[in-house]
Amino acid sequence: MDYTMEDTQNSAPDAVGESKLNSSAPRNDTQSVTKRLQAELMQLMLSPSPGISAFPDADGNLLSWTATITGPTETPYEGLTMKLSFAFPNNYPYSPPTVLFKTPIYHPNVDFSGRICLDILKDKWSAVYNVQSVLLSLQSLLGEPNNASPLNAQAAELWDSNQEEFKRHVLARHRDLDDE
Amino acid sequence: MSNSANANALSTEEMERFQKLSNEFEPDVKGPAVSVKQSSHNIALEYANADPTLAAKTSALALTHPTTRVMRGDGNCGWRAVIFGYFEILFNLRDPHRVQAESQRIKNLNGLLDRVGHQQDIYEIFVDETMDIFTQTLTAIQNGVHDESFLVEALCNENQSNAVITHFRLLTSAWMRLNPQDYQAFLSLPVDQYCSTRIETVRTEIDEVGLQALVVGIIKDAGFGVEILYLDRSEGDAVTPHPLTTATPAGATIRLLYRPGHYDLLYRPEVEVNINPMVNYQYGMTTNYAPWDQGAAHNFEISPQMMAIPNLMADPAFAMGPDPMSPMSSVSPAPASPYQPSPTHEMYPTPIQSHAPVPAVPSIPAPSPPAVQSSAPKPMMSLPSRTSDGPQIRMNPFAMKASLNRALPVTTPFKNSPYNQAHFQNQDFEPIHWEPSDSRR
Repeated sequence: MDYTMEDTQNSAPDAVGESKLNSSAPRNDTQSVTKRLQAELMQLMLSPSPGISAFPDADGNLLSWTATITGPTETPYEGLTMKLSFAFPNNYPYSPPTVLFKTPIYHPNVDFSGRICLDILKDKWSAVYNVQSVLLSLQSLLGEPNNASPLNAQAAELWDSNQEEFKRHVLARHRDLDDE
Repeated sequence: MSNSANANALSTEEMERFQKLSNEFEPDVKGPAVSVKQSSHNIALEYANADPTLAAKTSALALTHPTTRVMRGDGNCGWRAVIFGYFEILFNLRDPHRVQAESQRIKNLNGLLDRVGHQQDIYEIFVDETMDIFTQTLTAIQNGVHDESFLVEALCNENQSNAVITHFRLLTSAWMRLNPQDYQAFLSLPVDQYCSTRIETVRTEIDEVGLQALVVGIIKDAGFGVEILYLDRSEGDAVTPHPLTTATPAGATIRLLYRPGHYDLLYRPEVEVNINPMVNYQYGMTTNYAPWDQGAAHNFEISPQMMAIPNLMADPAFAMGPDPMSPMSSVSPAPASPYQPSPTHEMYPTPIQSHAPVPAVPSIPAPSPPAVQSSAPKPMMSLPSRTSDGPQIRMNPFAMKASLNRALPVTTPFKNSPYNQAHFQNQDFEPIHWEPSDSRR
């Protein structure tokens, strides 16, 4: 319910009005980041993708979001829910957000601090990627790790050699985070 | 612990530190995203002490393309150069209808974005910024503004620049995805993958295939030409031109200077400069030549064109200047060979030269004219030929092969010279009313 309230505050009327009025004035960056993130939020609300969700943190700062991914079926992560944090830079979307797994996860491309090795979050970032496409990419990364450049070498090895043992590690490391 | 076993391995802390450094690495880029127009001599100066081929080519370049605009080397320079060039031409054409037509045409290209599946609410933000530049251009033309600094500002504004570049990247990528048969053969990876990893990214430099697609898919239909001038160490005395469009119309061609990994903009001599009354005015006003120094010489953008005036110094008519204090007084008033070295040989050492003193100009035989000759600007071609024999273009010392590998054009003697009036051989510029006895016929 908090969510719906915030949504009406953050979205359309203000953003549209501003863009019309200031269309030829020098705009400031924060305004354009805000506009973009509001558009993304809107899209996530209107057409949610199964298995992923994201929302700005409750502190009212639109530059930091919390997201969740549900583990894809027929992967070691099936049935698990992972939390992630998104921190958007001031020049978003022209620089990628910093994305971290908050839920402890055992995965070849994620280290024990939750940092992720994924090219689209680094030099292959494009301004057309968004929270939704990043989350979908991460979801598919869960089922298809890139073992060529692992952050967790043991996990990469185990993924290739012993799926049973891999899944045991996944479940051992996983710990549901409390809400908030 | 096991130092012997892991002699080469780094501790976790070190690895993390390096990873952090690597993640945060930003190339050392400086300067504005788009510079003001500046003299191409600056490019020649950069190469003055470099490989002789590069020095020769850049010196010749300063004559054929006297001005340049430097793009910041931040991974978007090629994109920014083309986009800036596009808007600048549109502005300089000063046709409000054309601006509107182009604005509509680019907006209609949204269809390409839809066809490859981009979401409108995502790309709209980029398109809006491009449309804003069209609006600014139109307003400027309608208000009689002739200064393009609003365009420089727009593309130096980080947000707007990023948005517009992203817009053109997306258009280019959509064009390639929809016409893969034209590009696949030139790529080492599938078109889709090429587009998502090289074109749609935020800081990947444009390569030749991408540039071709940008020009053919997006720019060409404006009726503008695009030409790349390659500066490399290949054989020759001049940069290698490579037109990307079948036509390169004068006044509507984006000229890119390519150096490996970097693009800047280049400009041919402007017609307006040759007839600009300001220059004449300055000539009339200036009575004291002493203060002109080296630094000023480089900022004087007219010089290269002066230097290229056919037969200027060979013409006795211009040696009878009314002003005896002119530094040109060493010129023989007698008709001279078109190749006679001009008095600019009495040059001031440039800062670079001060470390490596310039030898006196060797009395070399007349060199064969380099390629610069053929690309002399139109207005100069229309000047009457003063000597019936000899080429139309009188080679000045900077175009001479033997002097090309030296550092650089010091054009001070021309700058304030009364001989400048030769530039204005039309009725409007017969200014010497105060000394009728010295009038030039």
